[in-house]
Amino acid sequence: MLSDMLPVVVVHGGAGFVPRQRSELSVSGVCSAAGSAYGILKGGGSSMDAVVNAVTLLENNPAFNAGIGSVLNVRGDIEMDALVMDGKTLASGAVSAVRNIANPTQLARLVMEKTSHACLTAEGASQFARAMGIPEVPVESLITDYSRMRWQKNLAADANPVECQMGKMGTVGAVAVDTEGNIACATSTGGMLNKMVGRVGDTPCIGSGGYADNNIGAVSTTGHGETIMKVTLARLILFNMEKGQSVEAASDSGLALMKSRVDGLGGVITVDPQGHWAARFSSLQMAWAAAQSDTLHYGLYTGEHFTQNIDDPESHYPKYKA
Amino acid sequence: MPAVIVVHGGAWAIPDELAEASVAGVKVAARGGYSVLRRGGSALDAVEAAVRSMEDNSVFNAGHGATLNTDGEVELDAIIMDGRTLGSGAVSCVKNIPHPVSLARAVMEKTSHTMLTDKGANLFAESIGMSTVPTDSLVTEYEWREWEKHKHYVTGVMEDFNSQWAHDTVGAVALDHAGNVACATSTGGIRNKMVGRVGDSPVVGCGGFADNCIGAVSCTGHGESILKVTLARLILSHIERGLSVADASQMSLWFMGERVLGAGGAVVVSSAGQWAATFTTERMAWASVENDVLSYGLDPKDVRKEKLLFE
Repeated sequence: MLSDMLPVVVVHGGAGFVPRQRSELSVSGVCSAAGSAYGILKGGGSSMDAVVNAVTLLENNPAFNAGIGSVLNVRGDIEMDALVMDGKTLASGAVSAVRNIANPTQLARLVMEKTSHACLTAEGASQFARAMGIPEVPVESLITDYSRMRWQKNLAADANPVECQMGKMGTVGAVAVDTEGNIACATSTGGMLNKMVGRVGDTPCIGSGGYADNNIGAVSTTGHGETIMKVTLARLILFNMEKGQSVEAASDSGLALMKSRVDGLGGVITVDPQGHWAARFSSLQMAWAAAQSDTLHYGLYTGEHFTQNIDDPESHYPKYKA
Repeated sequence: MPAVIVVHGGAWAIPDELAEASVAGVKVAARGGYSVLRRGGSALDAVEAAVRSMEDNSVFNAGHGATLNTDGEVELDAIIMDGRTLGSGAVSCVKNIPHPVSLARAVMEKTSHTMLTDKGANLFAESIGMSTVPTDSLVTEYEWREWEKHKHYVTGVMEDFNSQWAHDTVGAVALDHAGNVACATSTGGIRNKMVGRVGDSPVVGCGGFADNCIGAVSCTGHGESILKVTLARLILSHIERGLSVADASQMSLWFMGERVLGAGGAVVVSSAGQWAATFTTERMAWASVENDVLSYGLDPKDVRKEKLLFE
């Protein structure tokens, strides 16, 4: 019998540090993405539809580092990575270093559904997008004033883009369990500020940026990509759950290992087949939201956990003082 | 600590006409990697040397001898991982590079990143002065013939693999005298793959993984299936909870067959020096060396041994 905790969806808007003036945008963004995906699940939609919907909304929201609002690479261009995974079949679809499209997650889903492959990269991913009839968008339409400002700042000779962005990522992701007990995850990112041309991070790498298995659960990760890959963070947390740990304990021990072994910070959202969920992070902040049993849960700083009725039109987000 | 190296030349239905050359190729690669370890070299140097030797050997689908994509182009993937730091380097979809494994190592050692793809990987290769070669020089007569034969079948990829006619990956794992482990994997991917297809090989935890606390794995087989189960990391998780390297490999490959109907193979070394070469395909050319004894095989249960003589 399926748990009455289903359906459930959890989303994140990136671990790190969000400048105060942007923190409300981040929290309201993840809340509306979770609310929308929850509506799909309540209407009988699949967990795959729900996570793609949530991540698409976050890609379209310039407050996050995915789709519109993606960070620029060293040449001032945008190259994006995305991954989706279906916990029923273990099938996944990914794109890496893809340019000139608005919604990489939808393209990743098409790779999963329309090809015999699991990942397409760069120009090959663009060719496939054209073949699928996905409109090309000019890179300018994905660039915000904020992302251009940060890019220019980091071109200065004394800039340290790695240090600077440790705090300010904004990879987005979602995990969900639908009423049939199927589990899915999706993760999407513009990557690292001022990254080299062709740099691929953890996001499109199955087991690092995300993983979903109906028998165990699902994880979507965010944080310093190169560090997440060292510990294959998503798969690591699911191994912990296979050993009997709760979603929360498994997430915390995965993040703790990443910190102690390779000195990395990050955040994760995790669900199990029964509908238990967790949003955990070792960074200063992670914008997250979850929807379950008609309740919206959300937070930004460690220890924060606000709730409100999902139908409450009034937002009760705390006002973070500048 | 006694040093060990294990290499594979791909798990697939290796036809008889390639059998002898495949076995000879893995023996040479294992011996080359082992001689690095024997003179005190690192596991990282040993796996790179072994994989370079197979990239140079046109009988294998990596570097020279790689398969062609639907456009008749060579696109190569490779990964290398250092079990001491958990640092890794990978390239995907790189063109005109005879030794992708060495480019992957440069990504690990000379950039703050882990993976570079497509033109970005080639730009980086250029920036560090790595020499490129024309595509034609990487493609064998054999591959052109096979590609011509198969190019009209759009759905060829899955069918090819189910019949295990897909040419596959090379890889190596090693444990050095200092107790460090490393892995490396390199491939031309699947014949007739779509332009830009990235398989399991360059994906950390799938094509390979190395952790000094557990051991190292390099995988081969149907890439999309290996990705589904993150095969390298899965094998290491079983070793972590106390299984022998042989049982951990068999159990993981069996799971891949049951859950996602994929066949493949893996070479594994644990940080205690246990090793295994396991496969669920018809054949896998593999070779290992420890204590100056070379073991190798091709068919299931086929294990031959030779004493190596060093100067």
